[in-house]
Amino acid sequence: MRVETKLFTYLLAFFVPVIFIYGFWTKWTEPIGVTALTLTAGLFALVSFYFWMTGRKLPLRPEDNVSGEIEDAEGDYGYFVASSWTPLWLALAGAVMFAGLAIGWWLFIIGAFFGIVALVLWVFESFSGEYSI
Amino acid sequence: MVAVGTIVWLSSELMFFAGLFAVYFQLRSVRTELWAQQTEKLNLTFASINCLVLVVSSVWCQLGVWKAERGQKARTGSLLDIKHWGMREWYVLTYLFGAFFIAGQVMEYSELVQENVTLSSDAYGSVFYMATGFHGMHVTGGLIAFLLIIARTFTTRRYTHANATGAVVTSYYWHFVDVVWIALFATIYLLR
Repeated sequence: MRVETKLFTYLLAFFVPVIFIYGFWTKWTEPIGVTALTLTAGLFALVSFYFWMTGRKLPLRPEDNVSGEIEDAEGDYGYFVASSWTPLWLALAGAVMFAGLAIGWWLFIIGAFFGIVALVLWVFESFSGEYSI
Repeated sequence: MVAVGTIVWLSSELMFFAGLFAVYFQLRSVRTELWAQQTEKLNLTFASINCLVLVVSSVWCQLGVWKAERGQKARTGSLLDIKHWGMREWYVLTYLFGAFFIAGQVMEYSELVQENVTLSSDAYGSVFYMATGFHGMHVTGGLIAFLLIIARTFTTRRYTHANATGAVVTSYYWHFVDVVWIALFATIYLLR
């Protein structure tokens, strides 16, 4: 994860001085920019830190190895559901709930009911039955 | 990689809250009088206790994560034997503390509404309910996630790696929401 960590660390190193440049330029009288820039730096700090931590736990990836070969990248990449319809049902229920905000609460409640069913189906899809992971 | 994806999503959530913080600070800088008048109505003692409850819930959550990482999904001793609790017991405790926090928020809202601080009363009311309300919705979402994660421990006999990952990423979300609350608490109640 070296490249990813570097990418986000560089952006962090860019945004930290920018906070102060912006602050001094506006004489610290304009809070929106300072808040937004500080939390943008926070975004990069969070992601780069987690990439660095994940990279420490994992063995060196072929991408990080200058003399790596393409076939080194073969193997198990994790678990992927072959196909699933439940995200569609959840999205449809979400659409009904959102329309409910404009049309009326009765529709929101109907959408919420289908949303709960779809959410539970999705969460348990891979964790129940014969082929559960 | 579920964990990395969760962190990337949480970093975008950080930017969502950046918007709310920016609104708060901007309005605060232009409406000094309104702020001085309205922040008087806040109940600092009550909010501090509520904040402490949420912070402590994060500790219970982390204790549950360590159990999940060791693959211990449920307690091996009696319910009073805290040392042998599994991930499930710690997560239920986290859920109870989180639910207490939300109940406290609701009580605080009702108190403030009685003092005529509402979503549409003035700029202070709008930004107060927008910021704490969106945070409260995030906590509620976290509570639902906890219920689903706890329920998952009942569906399989073996506590698998995928199960533990689900528990760990839920804890990431919970810690994030907790940290955001510390920042919101410092901004709204301490800095005023």
